[in-house]
Amino acid sequence: MTVAARATSLSKIYGSGDTRVTALDSVDVEIETGRFTAIMGPSGSGKSTLMHCLAGLDSISGGQVWIGDVELSGLSDKNLTRLRRDAVGFVFQAFNLVPTLSALENITLPLDIAGRKPDQEWLDTVIDTVGLRDRLRHRPSELSGGQQQRVACARALASRPTIVFADEPTGNLDSRSGAEVLGFLRRSVDEFGQTIVMVTHDPGAAGYADRVLFLADGHIVDEMHQPTAARVLERMTAFEAGRS
Amino acid sequence: MFRAALRSLLQHKLRLSLTLLAVVVGVAFVAGTYIFTDSLKRSFDALFDAPQPDVLVTVDTGFGNAGGGGGGGAAGDQAATLPGSLVAKVGGVDGVAAAYGIVATDGALVIGKDGKVVGQDGPPARATTWIPDDTIRSVSLASGAAPVGPGQVALLEATATAAGVGIGDTVRLDTPGGRVDPQVVGIVTRGISGSDGSTLVVFDLPTAQRLMLGKGNTGVTAISVKADPGVSQDALAASITTALPKDAKVETGSQRKADIADRLSTAFQFVNVFLLTFAFIALFVAIFLIFNTFSMLVAQRTRELALLRAVGASRGQVRRSVLVEAAVLGLLAAVLGVIGGIAVSQGLRLLLKAFGADLPSGPLVIEPRTITVSLVVGLLVTLVSAYVPARRAGIVPPVAAMRDEINLPPRSLLIRTVIGAVLLALAVVSAQLGLASTEDATRASQLVGLSALCALIAVISLAPMVGRGVLLVMGAPFSGSAIGRLARENGRRNPRRTAATASALAIGLALMTAIGVIAASTKASVAAVIDTTIGADYVVFGAKFQPFSPDVLAAVTDTPGTSTVTFVRQVPIKVQGDQSLLTGVEPEAFPSVVDLTMQLGSISSLGLGDTIVDDKTAAALGLKLGATVPATFVNGKSTLVLRGIYTAAGPYTGWITGIPTLMSIGARELDSAVYVKVAEGADPAAVRASLDQELARFPSVTVQDQASLKDQINGQFDRVFGFIYALLALAVIVAFIGIVNTLALSVHERRREVGLLRAVGTSRPQIRRMVVLEAVMISVFGAALGVTLGLVYGALLQKVLEPQGITRLAVPTGQIGWFLALSVVGGMLAALWPAFTASRLDVLRAIASE
Repeated sequence: MTVAARATSLSKIYGSGDTRVTALDSVDVEIETGRFTAIMGPSGSGKSTLMHCLAGLDSISGGQVWIGDVELSGLSDKNLTRLRRDAVGFVFQAFNLVPTLSALENITLPLDIAGRKPDQEWLDTVIDTVGLRDRLRHRPSELSGGQQQRVACARALASRPTIVFADEPTGNLDSRSGAEVLGFLRRSVDEFGQTIVMVTHDPGAAGYADRVLFLADGHIVDEMHQPTAARVLERMTAFEAGRS
Repeated sequence: MFRAALRSLLQHKLRLSLTLLAVVVGVAFVAGTYIFTDSLKRSFDALFDAPQPDVLVTVDTGFGNAGGGGGGGAAGDQAATLPGSLVAKVGGVDGVAAAYGIVATDGALVIGKDGKVVGQDGPPARATTWIPDDTIRSVSLASGAAPVGPGQVALLEATATAAGVGIGDTVRLDTPGGRVDPQVVGIVTRGISGSDGSTLVVFDLPTAQRLMLGKGNTGVTAISVKADPGVSQDALAASITTALPKDAKVETGSQRKADIADRLSTAFQFVNVFLLTFAFIALFVAIFLIFNTFSMLVAQRTRELALLRAVGASRGQVRRSVLVEAAVLGLLAAVLGVIGGIAVSQGLRLLLKAFGADLPSGPLVIEPRTITVSLVVGLLVTLVSAYVPARRAGIVPPVAAMRDEINLPPRSLLIRTVIGAVLLALAVVSAQLGLASTEDATRASQLVGLSALCALIAVISLAPMVGRGVLLVMGAPFSGSAIGRLARENGRRNPRRTAATASALAIGLALMTAIGVIAASTKASVAAVIDTTIGADYVVFGAKFQPFSPDVLAAVTDTPGTSTVTFVRQVPIKVQGDQSLLTGVEPEAFPSVVDLTMQLGSISSLGLGDTIVDDKTAAALGLKLGATVPATFVNGKSTLVLRGIYTAAGPYTGWITGIPTLMSIGARELDSAVYVKVAEGADPAAVRASLDQELARFPSVTVQDQASLKDQINGQFDRVFGFIYALLALAVIVAFIGIVNTLALSVHERRREVGLLRAVGTSRPQIRRMVVLEAVMISVFGAALGVTLGLVYGALLQKVLEPQGITRLAVPTGQIGWFLALSVVGGMLAALWPAFTASRLDVLRAIASE
């Protein structure tokens, strides 16, 4: 097993003094290459913070984070930006697309920013997989929410990143569109060997993953392999009961 | 959350502060103009405190400012005189305590210690006469004594300082009566500081008569009268009038004061209106900025406003809340503007000084009117600009509070397009009407002005439509990169905002370009006249347009290497109420140095009493060849016969006759210009060198060749146009503040988008480049609009002014290149702060959903 990203004793503390909040408390985690990992947890559990720290979007207060062989804490903003551009793909909950660019331009945006030519064959594969070939010239405002998220997924994959981070990718979608997006993420793992980390609070979404990490109060409290929606829901309910 | 709120508040303040700054600049300009003119007015009050004669007698020639008071200063101006015997006659009138003859004229050039003429080229070199009675003498002795006899003179303090002489020194004066070197015995003041570049020397009466009037002329230009105690000025004036010939003009001291006050107030009014024009241009530009700011603030606060509506606020209440905000802003700006006005008034004084007018200093005058006007203007401008955004705020539906992403439906540009098209059509029609009526200059300029106004509003209305296309083309060179495409699309996504920002810049640049075209055309026209008309290699002119002694002609004639040397003399002439100049020439030699195109008749056949005139004057007065022309001169009337008509060419207009005719009507033996041709085979450079050497003893004349003539005239135009540019610069600065403002607000509005771009790997320099590119596109778009408009109307104005002598159209390509280059640089500078802010946006905060 190879590791696409990992963190050791990762801590994240916000504020100081009375307003000090420990979002992540010495978390150790490994994200395996070619697998679909879901991070679950209730609101305020630190799951988004964990993702942001793993992805190099947020600074860390302690510990170390690697993406591939690169240790993030020593990187300048310039190198961190380059790493995000070349090695990381993102799918956010909302506001994923630049409204002034067409769907195709959004898909190739990270490549264009880098000044690289897209691999046309790969691009065609991605576009066909998300099923957007007839929508490529459209602006985001002319696409449905599900289509917009699929464009975002295509963008995340277009540069063949080491790892894709998806932050509540289905949070704003109806269940059918959500299923389409999740299905697409699943296929990209199965067919292309893409590594994906998804933050979600939806057990149904987590059911698409290979592995689920459960986060609560800044700690990884549990882990589940080959989850199903029902088992995840059961576990979550148990947490909630345990907390209250 | 608290930090985010604090930051947002701070950003809000920053955003509004730019808007505030724009209004402050505009209001400060208005307030500064009033403070400046009011203070100037106050400093001139000293003039009215100076003693005045109870009654002043002058000659009523009908030639503007002849006599004791004013002083025309036009080329060849000649003082009208009263017989000296009248002084005694006036002295004998009942109620007269004393009567003094005065000679007060132009033409006493003071030569400084450096051997150069003191003072600037335009303002007059005055001479006047010492009156022993200080209750009716307007100058007072600051030090020394009154001048007595031919060897003594008193100088105005500023004149003495500029000449570098003091009491006891001798000073060289070049007068119509020749060169003299009297001793300075007194320094006088006028009770008013500062210098307009004019000079003043004071002689006793016999010296003034000998030096300033014609040979043997014992006349006076005015009689200054002091009344007996208890005799009113009006009564005295009445009794003097009956005792004098008809052409004597009798004025009381209070009439004169009222007259001076009147003239000054007209002048101040003009200055005031002139400066206010530029202030209002700057304010007009500020309107765009305020409008943009409030539009964006309303758009950004849509959800907050909708919430207000949802909890029961009426449309009017929401609308009023925005207007109240605008009012507070406007009021604050107005108060700061009044304070800034003090600085602006000092700035205007410095600016005028830099352009050659050293104004008298006095106390700072802030009239209540200044404050009222500033407050009203500041408030009105902000409220008017915020009205439309406020109305839009009122129609935000309450349901918008519940929506996550708020997209106000894009409003159609149809109405704007229709308005723009109609106004454009109006502009074309009135421009055509204007061009068709160039013979009526007033009507033509009014029509072209109307056309310009229509075109400006049309351009502003159409700019959003045009802008999308123009930015597409302008962005094409950058569209290869993702950053270039993003910048281009950012500029195009909100066409109204981009257009309003660009239009603000367009206004200033349109005016600058139009003025640039007129300036270049004027210069080109003058150069063309010099090229085609002046056949002389060198022309000798007097300083301050003063005629000079025939000794100069003799010196030039003696210079080796010269062939044709001829002179001209000028006197004022009035024909059918139309005042111009009668130029006396040597009919055989003149055509070889000044090539006038004769339409009828010829110059060389000019006999005694014959004249020729330019085609425009002939047409205006309806004169035909052979017509008898009754003419009035300063010292009498005469009749001339029209023997020819020539084509007016620049300064060569008006009446021309032979020297004998001119002398027969009493012209002084003084030359206005000497034209020189270099002999064939002689080296022009060598001739020039010997000319300069020969004329070194005449500091009051200068030798010009065609190139230096052009330079001199261009220099004068450059000064005038430079001053106007400096005033317009303020409007351009406000426009650039507008670009900063729009970009800052846009960046704030698109912070999530910027965050997304950063998240997917856009580097900080790339973000900065994106913002800078957008700024440059907006400012170049504005500059292009402005320059285009300016070129069109500059060219139209030139056509309108063609009858006034601006016959050539010249486009200052270099200057326009500079404007465009500056708009690129300005756009970059304007983008600095917004670009920096954008690149420093916290990625997470920017993409986190609120």
